Amino acid sequence: MASETSRAAESTGRAVEPHPLTADERALVAAVLQKDRKAAAEFVSRYADAVYAYVSRRLAPRADLVEDVVQDVFLAALQKLDTFAGQSSVAGWLLGIARHKVEDLYRALVREPEPFPDDAEVANAELAADPRFDDVIDAARAQEKTRRILERLPAAYSAVLLWRYWERRSIKDMAAQTGKTEKAIERLLARARANFRQLWQAD
Amino acid sequence: MDERFFTKLADTTDTEPTASERAPARVKSRLYSAIVAELASSGPLRSLPATQAAGRELCVFEKVLTIVPDERIHEMNPCRVCHARLLAERFESPPIYWPHCPYVEFESE
Repeated sequence: MASETSRAAESTGRAVEPHPLTADERALVAAVLQKDRKAAAEFVSRYADAVYAYVSRRLAPRADLVEDVVQDVFLAALQKLDTFAGQSSVAGWLLGIARHKVEDLYRALVREPEPFPDDAEVANAELAADPRFDDVIDAARAQEKTRRILERLPAAYSAVLLWRYWERRSIKDMAAQTGKTEKAIERLLARARANFRQLWQAD
Repeated sequence: MDERFFTKLADTTDTEPTASERAPARVKSRLYSAIVAELASSGPLRSLPATQAAGRELCVFEKVLTIVPDERIHEMNPCRVCHARLLAERFESPPIYWPHCPYVEFESE
């Protein structure tokens, strides 16, 4: 049985401590592999909410792609289901696949950024903005406000912020995955942060 | 300052999903259809009597198919031509009510 902590971490897509598959999960996976259509329906019922919630949060800049990405996750999982060793829960495994799909999109967005303001504008924006996190009343409001802002930012800015802070990828890793220099990623992040903070204050 | 702000923001907002973030029934319906189509693309589905014997209930249309004395019919996917699927993939709360129909059950979750 997963602990409360690992369930919470799983539901947000963060790394979790592995825990073995339950007998119930194992039976469900076996039934899907036997091409049992009703087991497939149960598979969707059990796991679609967690995958959908994770993908929709992480794809705030491209909400139009959420449904297609969720479907890609399940079809990719189906392809690999016979090799699933059960070292994590099914939900954790699916969220791992979802994370890869989301990062594929981030990579594409960060590789082809939209037009940016010049560095002087960024510097001015940084001076003008002074984010006060203490102003945040509660997590739900912060979440809604964050989503609104991420939706308004250019997709490359939202992607680089989500990748760095919500997926906790290092700048070095992001640079390696996009073929950009670490400096280029840092500059992109600086612009993204400045734009985010401006919108945060204005919202 | 920036790093702290964004790190804290990510921690604060990355909470467990709320009920409002559940996958819409329409999305679950499309997912289910895609998975069953994928399963069927590499060979016959598990037969309906075998599915029933494994303790999983069939809808009224599937039950009718089990009466036909032909194993190939038992492996067919009647959802492919069912209006419940068409409606459920396109609309939230479509007028479909049959017991043990996955598309109806996605609506009631």
